[in-house]
Amino acid sequence: MADTTPGGYFGRALVVDVGDGSSRVLPLPESVLRNYLGGVGLGTWLLHELGPAGADPLAPESPLALVFSPLVGTPLTTSAKFAVVAKSPLTGMLTDALASSHFAISGKLTGHDALVLVGRAERPSVLSVHGSTALLHDARAEWGRSAADAEATIRARLGGGWQVASIGSAGERGVRYATISHDGRHAGRGGLGAVMGAKNLKALAVHAATKVAAADPAGMLAAARDLRARSLGRATEKVRELGTMANVLAYNALSTLPTRNFQQGSFEAAAQLAPGELAAARSVVKSSCASCSIGCAHAYRRKGSSGKGVRLEYQNVSALGTMCGVSDLESVLAASARCDELSIDTISAGGTIAWAMECAEGGLIDAPWLRFGDGDALLRALDEIGSGTGIGRLLALGSRAAAAVVGQGSLAFAAQVKGLELPGYEPRTMQAMALGMAVNARGADHNRSGAYEADLSGELDRLRGAEPHVLAAVESEDRAAIMDSMILCSFLRGVFDEPFAEWAALLASVTGWDLDATELRATAQRIVLAKRAYNLREGWQPADDWLPERFLSQELTMASGRTASLTPQRLRSMIDGYYAVRGLDPHGRPTHSAATT
Amino acid sequence: MAEIAGVVLAGGRSSRMGAPKAGLEWHGSTLLRRVTGILARGLDGPVLVVRAPGQPLPPLPAGVEVLQDPSEGNGPLQGIAVALTVLADRAYSAFVCSTDLPLLHPAFVRRVTRDSDAADVVLPVVGGHRQPLAACYRTSLADAAARLVAADRLRPAYLFDGARVVHLDESDLLADPALRRADPELDSVAGVNTPADYRAARDRPAPSVTVQRFGVLASGSESGDRTVRAASLGAAAAAVGVVLDRHVLAALNGDQMSRDPEVPLVDGDVVTFLSADAGG
Repeated sequence: MADTTPGGYFGRALVVDVGDGSSRVLPLPESVLRNYLGGVGLGTWLLHELGPAGADPLAPESPLALVFSPLVGTPLTTSAKFAVVAKSPLTGMLTDALASSHFAISGKLTGHDALVLVGRAERPSVLSVHGSTALLHDARAEWGRSAADAEATIRARLGGGWQVASIGSAGERGVRYATISHDGRHAGRGGLGAVMGAKNLKALAVHAATKVAAADPAGMLAAARDLRARSLGRATEKVRELGTMANVLAYNALSTLPTRNFQQGSFEAAAQLAPGELAAARSVVKSSCASCSIGCAHAYRRKGSSGKGVRLEYQNVSALGTMCGVSDLESVLAASARCDELSIDTISAGGTIAWAMECAEGGLIDAPWLRFGDGDALLRALDEIGSGTGIGRLLALGSRAAAAVVGQGSLAFAAQVKGLELPGYEPRTMQAMALGMAVNARGADHNRSGAYEADLSGELDRLRGAEPHVLAAVESEDRAAIMDSMILCSFLRGVFDEPFAEWAALLASVTGWDLDATELRATAQRIVLAKRAYNLREGWQPADDWLPERFLSQELTMASGRTASLTPQRLRSMIDGYYAVRGLDPHGRPTHSAATT
Repeated sequence: MAEIAGVVLAGGRSSRMGAPKAGLEWHGSTLLRRVTGILARGLDGPVLVVRAPGQPLPPLPAGVEVLQDPSEGNGPLQGIAVALTVLADRAYSAFVCSTDLPLLHPAFVRRVTRDSDAADVVLPVVGGHRQPLAACYRTSLADAAARLVAADRLRPAYLFDGARVVHLDESDLLADPALRRADPELDSVAGVNTPADYRAARDRPAPSVTVQRFGVLASGSESGDRTVRAASLGAAAAAVGVVLDRHVLAALNGDQMSRDPEVPLVDGDVVTFLSADAGG
């Protein structure tokens, strides 16, 4: 580490052309690191720098960046995460996804703050990076295998100490919502696996070669102990005890549980998919990500299985269960397992299949077997997506592109924003979240905008979006921008009383920077605007900040009997307010003053 | 602007009660807090309180606006005029009531305001008595009300002259299934004017409500619905051993969220307690 490099950083990225295996070091000036931190922030900067404008996301020249952060490798709980950033084949805009595993630590300790892959290998390959040595290996034997299988065989082949992030067969086939996975964790949204597959790259293997020091080791250790203690408090109790599945019954009662492609907001059979029911019927295995004290992961064993079980998240259950009207637990478990095997995003897979089910029931596509509530149909659709056969060829495009093929008004009920399928939050009954999903750079997303927290806070009227919802959406986006860049798990949100000030102190102990909350808030705004500027460069239009027609033209009858509606005028007003708070022009474009902050 | 506001007239001498009605205790809260909460539950628009000049009021929830009569002793019409004037460009109509209706039900408020498009005044008639202080008024009546006050014509009935008035008698009101189910005796308009009235109303059992707990609040034997007697959110929480703090909040009938312990409850409510720490 050079003398001028701040603690926690190496001050450089390794850029590898997998076409010929050549590599070069890209220096990362301290000003860039301080302005963008790491993770999704630094990844966005790298895409601006290295991504040719207008390039096809699956073209060789489009970069795929795996980005670490100053906190990765420290004892700070939940910091063992990395961001994968690229232009999305699903949205045509920026996508960034985080995954948690030891890959993050080993990847960083190759001695780089980011690994950027460009080019296209001549044959299916594995790229190994050990220190500054990047080598290509033949991966034809692994091609076609699941990510987990490939990971195991590649680790066996390379020897001890290697961590491997791999794609499944969906990434190889270019499914636009394929993931990159490691150790069962996925960089899930936006089709990053397809970007990797387009480079003929089955996997990236990394091996630690060096160390990195914090600027204030004692201060950092004290902060780590404190954060760990807080991570075991009530703010995380729900996910520790029950996992994210704890949301199912609560969201059902609040009419925020997307059901049958957002035709309803509650599911009559939700109890069959709730954690209490699951725990009664299955054995549950709890686990944690690397370097995490929370342990939100809950895996449920399938009938007749004695393995590790299938990890179930709220988003899996809403996308593959309630969205598809499937109440059969075994089918939802099997569908989740199938998504893992193929390495595809459960939210986009479920959202696209749910759209197709509505199309089929309405006679818009010729698939009489595809019906809401039919677990076998769900599994068949997933199989066909994975194999590229039958209706799978259409569904592999994602719901927006598939609706463009089918036409007949089906785009109106394709539940996506910018091409990214909605997560399990009903926008008509969560109107701060509606705004968050409409304007977010990644598309309809619950990680880069956690505005649903405001909707469920009791502090504002979740059914009547207005100015408070705008402020809540901006605040939520800013917090996510910092957490995803420095990097800490979003499940820690509730443990901070003064988040920006506390995050500044954490970063200061690692980097040695004299940071404060004001600077971090400016950093958050910079990162959010950098993503928007990237999208603008790639063809974003004002109409892309909007919600599908279904949400704006159809009222939702709530379980309480009340109707919830989100009018185009109300959404327009919130979006205009968002643009004003962000310092954007009336068309959502960064103004000169906003862009230079 | 499509909202219907709520107005509570808190002034008045309370001479028969012998104490200001607004501050009377009501199951750990106050009469005024309860009535404002009921209006907030029944209406989409803002809730206002009109007090007498200098009149102290008990604590009110955030968002409730307080107005003041310009002079004392002019009766309810002055308060109606003040409120309708302030609301004229914010709401088409306002449900106006007095502070002494502890049994007012949101279903009653919703039923009365449902006809607001068809009239200047929607006036319930219960037991043969018109109920001008549990009625809905067009805000466009503001000038007329102010002129009557200026002319010292202080009875609300004067406002009905020349206005389009829809009368709702018991059969009209109870034809609404929600109201018939929630308040079959139309106790919503049972005012408490004397200490005896107050004691009789206060001695009635608290509303019967269903409590649901989800997530970590429902672990073990504490899962499943429970029926409890509770006049407020805080009482319902206490009845099932839930503490309303930053990590817990409640949904009322699957609708609005709150952790305010003084949110009033009524018979038939379903209160859902859940972890406030959202995500996933």
